[in-house]
Amino acid sequence: MRQKLKYMMNRFKERDIIFISYILIFFGVIILFSASKGVITKEGFFIKQILWIFIGTIFVYIFKNGDYRSLEKWSYLFYFIILFLLTIVLFKGEGRASRWIGLGWFYFQPSEFAKLVVILTLSSFLSNKDIRRFSVLFLSLIIVGIPFLLVFKQPNLGTAIIFILIFLGISYIAGITRKQLISLFLFAIFISPLIWAIMKDYQRERILTFLNPMRDPLGKGYNLLQSKITIGSGGLIGKGFMKGTQTKLAFLPEYHTDFIFCVIAEEFGFIGVVIFVLLYFYFLNKILEIISISKTEFGKYVATGIFVMFAGHFLINLGMTLGIFPIVGIPLPFISYGGSSLIVSILSIIILSSIEKYSTLF
Amino acid sequence: MGRELFLKRFLTFFIYVIILRCFYLQIIRFPYYYQLSIKNCIRTIETGIPRGIIYDRNGRILAKDAPSANLVFVPYDLKNAEKVADILSNICNLDKEYLIKKLTKKYINPFDRVILKRDLSAKEISLIEENLYNLPGVFVQEGIKRVYPFGKETAHLLGYLGEISQSQLEKLKDKGYEMGDYIGQDGIEKVYDEYLRGIPGGIQVEVDALGHQRRVWGKKEGIPGNDIFLTIDATIQEIAYEELGDRKGCVAVMDPRNGEILALVSNPSFDPGNIVFYLDEKRHPEKPFFNRVIKGQYPPGSIFKIITEIAALETGTIKEFDRIECTGVMEVSDRIFHCWKEEGHGWVDINLALPFSCNIFFGTIGMKVGVSKLIEYAKKFELGKPTGIDLPGEAPGYIPEPSEADPLNLSIGQGPITTTPIQLLSLISTVANGGNIWQPFILKKIISKKGEMLKELQPNLRKTVYIDQEALEILRKGLKNVVEFGTGVRAKVEGLEIAGKTGTAQRAATELELPTHGAFVCYAPFDTPKIAVIAFIDYGSSPQAAEIAGRILKRIFIPEKIEEENETETEIYDEQI
Repeated sequence: MRQKLKYMMNRFKERDIIFISYILIFFGVIILFSASKGVITKEGFFIKQILWIFIGTIFVYIFKNGDYRSLEKWSYLFYFIILFLLTIVLFKGEGRASRWIGLGWFYFQPSEFAKLVVILTLSSFLSNKDIRRFSVLFLSLIIVGIPFLLVFKQPNLGTAIIFILIFLGISYIAGITRKQLISLFLFAIFISPLIWAIMKDYQRERILTFLNPMRDPLGKGYNLLQSKITIGSGGLIGKGFMKGTQTKLAFLPEYHTDFIFCVIAEEFGFIGVVIFVLLYFYFLNKILEIISISKTEFGKYVATGIFVMFAGHFLINLGMTLGIFPIVGIPLPFISYGGSSLIVSILSIIILSSIEKYSTLF
Repeated sequence: MGRELFLKRFLTFFIYVIILRCFYLQIIRFPYYYQLSIKNCIRTIETGIPRGIIYDRNGRILAKDAPSANLVFVPYDLKNAEKVADILSNICNLDKEYLIKKLTKKYINPFDRVILKRDLSAKEISLIEENLYNLPGVFVQEGIKRVYPFGKETAHLLGYLGEISQSQLEKLKDKGYEMGDYIGQDGIEKVYDEYLRGIPGGIQVEVDALGHQRRVWGKKEGIPGNDIFLTIDATIQEIAYEELGDRKGCVAVMDPRNGEILALVSNPSFDPGNIVFYLDEKRHPEKPFFNRVIKGQYPPGSIFKIITEIAALETGTIKEFDRIECTGVMEVSDRIFHCWKEEGHGWVDINLALPFSCNIFFGTIGMKVGVSKLIEYAKKFELGKPTGIDLPGEAPGYIPEPSEADPLNLSIGQGPITTTPIQLLSLISTVANGGNIWQPFILKKIISKKGEMLKELQPNLRKTVYIDQEALEILRKGLKNVVEFGTGVRAKVEGLEIAGKTGTAQRAATELELPTHGAFVCYAPFDTPKIAVIAFIDYGSSPQAAEIAGRILKRIFIPEKIEEENETETEIYDEQI
C-alpha cells in the first residue's frame, strides 16, 4: 500500500501527463457523481461517463507505445473524413443545435473530434514550411477556415472560437510575424460586421446578454445569476461533498455539462476551487514543457494546438460560469459529462505522451 | 524560444484572474449569495406568448389577445396539497380529485409553474387573494387569453389554441417551441402559427417563504407576433352562419374569379374560448370540431350531372335537342333503376333534364359516354383531389377506378365516388368563370408589427380546362333554369339571376330509405359571376340547401331588402337521387 502510494507520488512528480490527466478524470467522476444525485436524478449519464472512461483507458493501453509521427501523413485523411461528417451533421443534425450524429445509444459529436483533427492537419501542413510566406499563411487559414465555417453554421460558437485559438496558437509558435498578425487582426475587424450579420439571433442574443444579462431574465440572465449564486454560496470551505443545495435543486439545467464548475465551487468552496485550478494549471504547464522539448516541428505544433485547446476550454468555460466571458456553451475537459469530449481529451494526451517519449529517445 | 514563455505568462495571468474572481464571489460576496441560496427564492414566471391579430378582408377583428388571470402553482413551494385542493375546489368550482392529482403529480422541474385554471373571474381572484396565506405556492398570475369576437361563427375557420402535444413538440423544437406552449391546433391559427406566435414574456421574481411574489428582479415584455389579413368577409361569414342556423351542415362562399374564400361555416360548431368543454367527446358525440367543408367526403349526387353533361356534349354523345323518354323507371340488365319522380318526366331533352335533374336521362347518356370517359372528366375538373386550401386536414375524396364504378350510378354521382363540399364549390366556380380552376385560399397577407409585408398569397391558378363553348352555354342555361323552375327553385331571388344545381348524397342507391344529405351549389350574378356558394345539409333535402344559398345570395346582393320571410315550407320538393 505504502509502496503503491510512493509510486503514485513519483509519477506525479515526474509529471507523467497521462497520470495527471487521470487525476483530473478521477476528480471529474466524483463531481459528476454528486451532480447526478439531484431532485432530477440523472444517474444514467454518470454510468455512461464511467463507460466512456473505460473505453478511453482501453485506447491508452492500445496506443501508449504508438509513434505520433505516423499521424503526420494520416492527418489529411482524417481531415477529409471530419469535413464529411461535419457536413452531414449540418444537413441532418439532431436536436436544436445540430451538433450530433445519433449512433444507437449515444450521440457522436464530430465537432469535438474536428478540433484534434484540425490541430493535426495544420501541424502537418506547417512543419518544414515557412509561415511568413503569404501562400503558406493563406493555405493555413483555409485549412482552419472550412471546418470553422461548418461548426459556426451549426451553430456551435464555442468550438468556432476554439478553432481561432488553435490557429493563433500554432501559427504563433510557427513564427508568424507581428506584421502578419496585425493584418489578420485588421482583416477580422473588417469582416466582423459581416459575421454579425450572418450570426443566428440566439448567438447575438448571447453576446448582448453577456453585456447585460438582465436582457433575458428568464434564460441567460437566470443561468448566470444562478451560476453566480451557486459559486458564491460555496464560501471558503464549501457546503460539503454531495451537500450542494443549488445544484441539487436543479436551478441550472446544464450543471452536469457546461456548468459543472458550479458543483465544484459550491461543494468544495474557495479552497476546493484553488486546488482544482492549480491542478489544471499544473497539467497545462506540463503541456507547455512538452512543446519546449519536442524534437520535431510537427510534434511542437501538435503539442501547441493541444495546449491551446485545453487551455481555451478551461479558461472560457470557467470564464462563462464566473460571468467574465459570454455563455458560449463549451465543456470543461475531463470534468463535464460528454463522451465525444472525453475521448478526444484522452486521445490528445496519448499523443502528448508519445511526443514526450520520442523527444527523449534520440 | 521566447514564444512558449509568452504562452505561459498568458496562461498564468488568466489563472490569477479566475482565482481573484472566485475570491470575490466566494469570500467577499459570500454573505449575499449565501442568503440568496438558502432562500431558494428566485423564480422565473412566463406570462404567455402574445399572438398577432387576425383580421377579415375589411379589417374587422376575428381574433385577438386580451389580458386574463390564471390560477397557477409552483410544485416546489406547495406545502399541503390536500388543504390547498380543498380551498381551491370551493373557490374555483374545480373537481377536488382533479386538483389533488394535478398538485401531487411529480414534475420534472419543480420550479416551473403549473396552470390550474385559466381566465379566472374577478370574484374568484378576490377570493383567492383573501385566502392566499392558506395557499402556499399558489398565486394568481397575469396571462394572455385569445378572444374570438365571432365565437362559434368562425370556429372552424380560425381553429383554436391548445397546449403543444409531445409529438408536435418534437417536430417544432427546432423552431423554438417549448413544453407547455399554447399553439394553434386547427384552422388558420394552426396553419400560420409560426407567423402569429410572438416572443414569450416573463418576469424573474423573488418569492417569500410561502412562494408568493416579493420583488421583481427582471421583466421581459412579450413581443406579439405578426398580424394576418384573411380573404374572409366577416359580414358574409355572419350571414352564412345565421342562414345555416341550427341545421347540421356547412356553407362556403368563394369568389369564382380568383378562389378567395369569403365565408366558411360548419355546424355543429364549438366555442374556441371554451375548448375544454367541447373536447369532452362523451358530452359532444356530434363531433363539433369536424369541418365539413374540407373534411366531409360524400357522394356528389346530382351535382355530378354537370360533369356528365359536359362529357356527353363534348364527346358528341348527345345533341342539345335529342330527347329521351323518362317513364320513372328503367331496366338495365336485371336491375331496376328509378328516377326520383315516380311518374317520370316524359320526353325530355338536355335543356329540361338538367333543371329537373332527371336520373333516367343522365343515366342513359352516362352509359353511352362510358365509365372511363366520365372518370376522365371528373379528374379533369380536379375532383377527388385536395384543392390545396390553406386549412389543415383537407380530405381528398375519392374517384373510383373504371372497374369499380357502374356507369348508371356514376353518371348521377352515386356509388363509390366521393367529393368534399369545397371541391364542388370549386367545380361550380370553374363553370362560372369558364374553365379556370383556382386554388381556394383564405390568407390574404401577413404584416409584421412594423408594417412590413411578410407574405402575400396571390390567386393560384391550378389549371385551365378547355370547355367547348357551345356545351358551356347549354350547361349554364340549364343551371339557370334549375333555379328558374327546376329543383333549385327555392333559391330564386327576385332581381338576381342565379345558376345552380341541387344534389342529394346517399350512401347507396339501393337503400332509398336512408337519410340523405342535401346539397346546393350556385353562382351569381349569372352574366358576371362574383359569388359562388355551396350549402350542404346533413339529413336534409337539397331544396332546403337551395333555400339557404338563395337567402345568402339575396343578403349579399340586395342587402337593403332584409325582410322577414314566412318560414312555412310550401310545396316541398323532395328530390330523390
